[in-house]
Amino acid sequence: MATNEIQENALNNMGVDKTPFAASMLFPLFRATLWGLTGYFAAAWITALLFHTVIVNPLPATVGYVVGLICWLMGSGVWEGWIRRAFGGKEAPTYTGIERYFRFGPDSKSTAVRYVVLNIVTFFLAGMAAMAIRIELLTPDSTSWWLSEIQYNQTFGIHGLMMLLGVVASAIVGGVGYYLIPLMLGTRNVVFPKLLGLSWWLLPPATFAVFMSPTIGGFQTGWWGYPPLAQNSGSGIVWYVLGAATILFASLLGAINIAGTMVYMRAKGMSLGRVPIFVWGLFAAATILVVESPATYTGALMDLSDMIAGSHFYTGPTGHPLAYLDQFWFLFHPEVYVFILPAFAIWLEILPAAAKRPLFARGWAIAGLVGVSMLGAMLGVHHYFTAVSDARMPIFMTITETVSIPTGFIYLSAIGTIWGGRLRINAAVLLVLMAMMNFLIGGLTGIFNADVPADLQLHNTYWVIAHFHYTMLGGVIFSWIAALYWWFPKVTGRKINEFWGKFHAWWFFVFFNCTFFPMFIAGIEGMNRRIAIYLPYLHDINLFMSISSFFLGAGFLIPLANLLYSWRYGPKAEANPWGSNGLEWQIKSPTPYVPYPAGTEPEVVGPNDNYAAEAKEPVIWVPTPSK
Amino acid sequence: MNAAKENLWKAFRGLVVFWIIGLAIGETLMAWGIGNWPILGSIQAHITADATTYLLWQAVAIYVLVGGAVVYSAFRFRASSMSDTAAPAYQARTWAPFVVTWLVLAIGINLANTIYPGMVGLEQLWGIQLDTKNPLVIDVTAQQWKWTFSYPKQGVTDVSQLVVPEGRTIDFVLRTKDVMHDFWVPAWGEKKDVIPNEVRHLFITPTMLGTTATNPMLRVQCSLICGNGHPLMRAPVKVVTPADFKAWVANNSF
Ligand code: HEM
Ligand SMILES: [Cu+2]
Ligand SMILES: [Cu+2]
Repeated sequence: MATNEIQENALNNMGVDKTPFAASMLFPLFRATLWGLTGYFAAAWITALLFHTVIVNPLPATVGYVVGLICWLMGSGVWEGWIRRAFGGKEAPTYTGIERYFRFGPDSKSTAVRYVVLNIVTFFLAGMAAMAIRIELLTPDSTSWWLSEIQYNQTFGIHGLMMLLGVVASAIVGGVGYYLIPLMLGTRNVVFPKLLGLSWWLLPPATFAVFMSPTIGGFQTGWWGYPPLAQNSGSGIVWYVLGAATILFASLLGAINIAGTMVYMRAKGMSLGRVPIFVWGLFAAATILVVESPATYTGALMDLSDMIAGSHFYTGPTGHPLAYLDQFWFLFHPEVYVFILPAFAIWLEILPAAAKRPLFARGWAIAGLVGVSMLGAMLGVHHYFTAVSDARMPIFMTITETVSIPTGFIYLSAIGTIWGGRLRINAAVLLVLMAMMNFLIGGLTGIFNADVPADLQLHNTYWVIAHFHYTMLGGVIFSWIAALYWWFPKVTGRKINEFWGKFHAWWFFVFFNCTFFPMFIAGIEGMNRRIAIYLPYLHDINLFMSISSFFLGAGFLIPLANLLYSWRYGPKAEANPWGSNGLEWQIKSPTPYVPYPAGTEPEVVGPNDNYAAEAKEPVIWVPTPSK
Repeated sequence: MNAAKENLWKAFRGLVVFWIIGLAIGETLMAWGIGNWPILGSIQAHITADATTYLLWQAVAIYVLVGGAVVYSAFRFRASSMSDTAAPAYQARTWAPFVVTWLVLAIGINLANTIYPGMVGLEQLWGIQLDTKNPLVIDVTAQQWKWTFSYPKQGVTDVSQLVVPEGRTIDFVLRTKDVMHDFWVPAWGEKKDVIPNEVRHLFITPTMLGTTATNPMLRVQCSLICGNGHPLMRAPVKVVTPADFKAWVANNSF
């Protein structure tokens, strides 16, 4: 396209650092690790000495974590890249070459790439925990050669927390969203680039702490951290709380950026009516974090305080554990919409370009995304119908069921877009279609959990495990992989291997369903969740699920290999391989460090989903107006 | 096929056929599944299972209608290959009859579900609880990791097996000595959390004789993670005739 050529000329003179990779570029990573560990041990030791205790106790572990986190951040480049200036020093130069991937910095694209890497690593580690769970469940007894009950509980707690906060919370929002937001809105960067950079550097220590929690005693509570069990079953709970709070804080930094960028940084002509649907999805998710997370941090920190400071907010003879549930679920119910709304938006972003049709009923789709995020704020109580008084049941049942209406708009829009179109099905589109089918089951089975009479029986059984894996693994992870495939050329300039992409999609779909569909049945037959030992009458079905899950788990090596191999050797892609009208595809691929040359700005002159034969280009390039 | 000439009504007729076949297969499978439902050992279990099975019928129907439309249209309107980049002639951004039908159905189903099985089920459950004149009171104490049962009016204290008569509504008074637990007998179709510093009630009217040995669904099972003993925090259940219950009380009271 002509626009690309215009840019190329200018870009070649932008003076971007072209130094090839050298091991010395990893220095900030090593320094951060060294400072972080030193800070951790020093602080934990000193605290232990002062309080006459050992470093694995809750208080030293807490102090060590906080100090270690700060030292890690300084080591990663926050010191010279940001803080030093506040003390009158000089700010580090802006890194524009490969170096920027390995240190703290304001470039949203390298931050997003780091998100992808972190999410993939975490997905594999938490996935191994899932395999460990399924190995334990191969037999009904306590499987003494494998995990003890204590270890089993730690394993599913780590699996759950890491899959949620370490993977799906940032997989699409972070890796895909932070990369695409500026490009889709027609700006060069997000509104608070350093905060966004910081958000990633918060994650590795938090994730590491959660995975390492067994070294200080682990935690038995699963990912909920309910008191008073939290306070009396292992010091590892402090790293659960701190890790979760840190990751949530990182999400909040991202959310501020999403909302701010969408409000303040849109290109000329990009009215709200023309904002790409994916950005609307991110925006809807961001509002949830901004509004709902504070109450939940507070709850988590009070849970911690009960552990380390001797308070009795939720514990002891005077505390109210139920108050914790209210605070915990105030964010953590809507948090599931933070996971799924961007996935919905991915479907609606990809389908029009694939079917060469405008997004059907776009207004309703946006109402769906925003509507879910708003209703979501009001219904956390549906997670503990078995704990609340009768009078609270109807209202939370009603609101929860209402969520199905805006959720339905997403399907309305998606089906209407495919209908009458010419859908080109590559691996990404196939995964989107599969995600729609899986999430449909996840959503429909959610109605059972919302319906109080049904839920009083199904709550805390494998029914629920099946339900949320259909939404998160079946919905979010399918969509995440689809998005990685679809925008792969944007980031790397190459295409993934379509054959292996589709092969794995089918593999994933089949073994996902074989693993998780039987869990609905196990739940109905009386298998409760979080048990290392179950009754022999449930053996056959568990054996089947476990064996399926091993195939499912092993299958993830295929997309991993595909992404890695294609990154180096995949077929070269044109700038706009899918013929999309999206603004992000109208610039060079891979995206240059500065997406548009100085002096040129995009101006949006039409909707980005008009594929009619005679349609105009949706964007023109204009000179930057002088201030 | 010439995209410009695509006849969307003809495509829709195909979808209707696809739906009918899908519904027939789906609901038949569901009928078979529901036919194999686990035992329902109390009035409450019937109420909650009615809710679940009703929603299952409905879920299958919606799955076929919506999922069927996704699969059918993806298949019917696929392009021959990725390089086939021609745009279809149909470029409408919306079509009111579809949107309105969707809206009406979504709101209608949603409202209907809130009433039935939601509120109707709750009303029935509450009705039993509030109507019961003379329930059998059983004090349940949960602690890591065992259950103990006392029958204050019968003078039976601290037994570790739950013995109850058939046909009488029981008021389980739930307390915990340590962390949260959850009192659940799968065959009775309901569970209730047991919460520190609070007293909770669960009303159950057993309708089926049996023991844990004859049917494992008839067991007390802690259903809220409470530490490493959680999976084994179970207790045997025995539902007996009123006469046998009297005899058991006579043997076990002081
Ligand atoms: C690779 C395939 C996966 C398998 C085989 C798997 C398996 C399981 C199993 C068997 C449990 C039940 C533990 C129990 O309650 O006793 C579980 C729990 C859980 N899983 Fe997964 N899982 C997988 C992927 C995922 C993904 C992708 C997510 C989210 C994005 C996820 C989120 C969770 C959560 C939140 C829990 C609850 C943990 C808790 O009870 O605290 N899982 N998983
Ligand atoms: Cu929820
Ligand atoms: Cu328990």
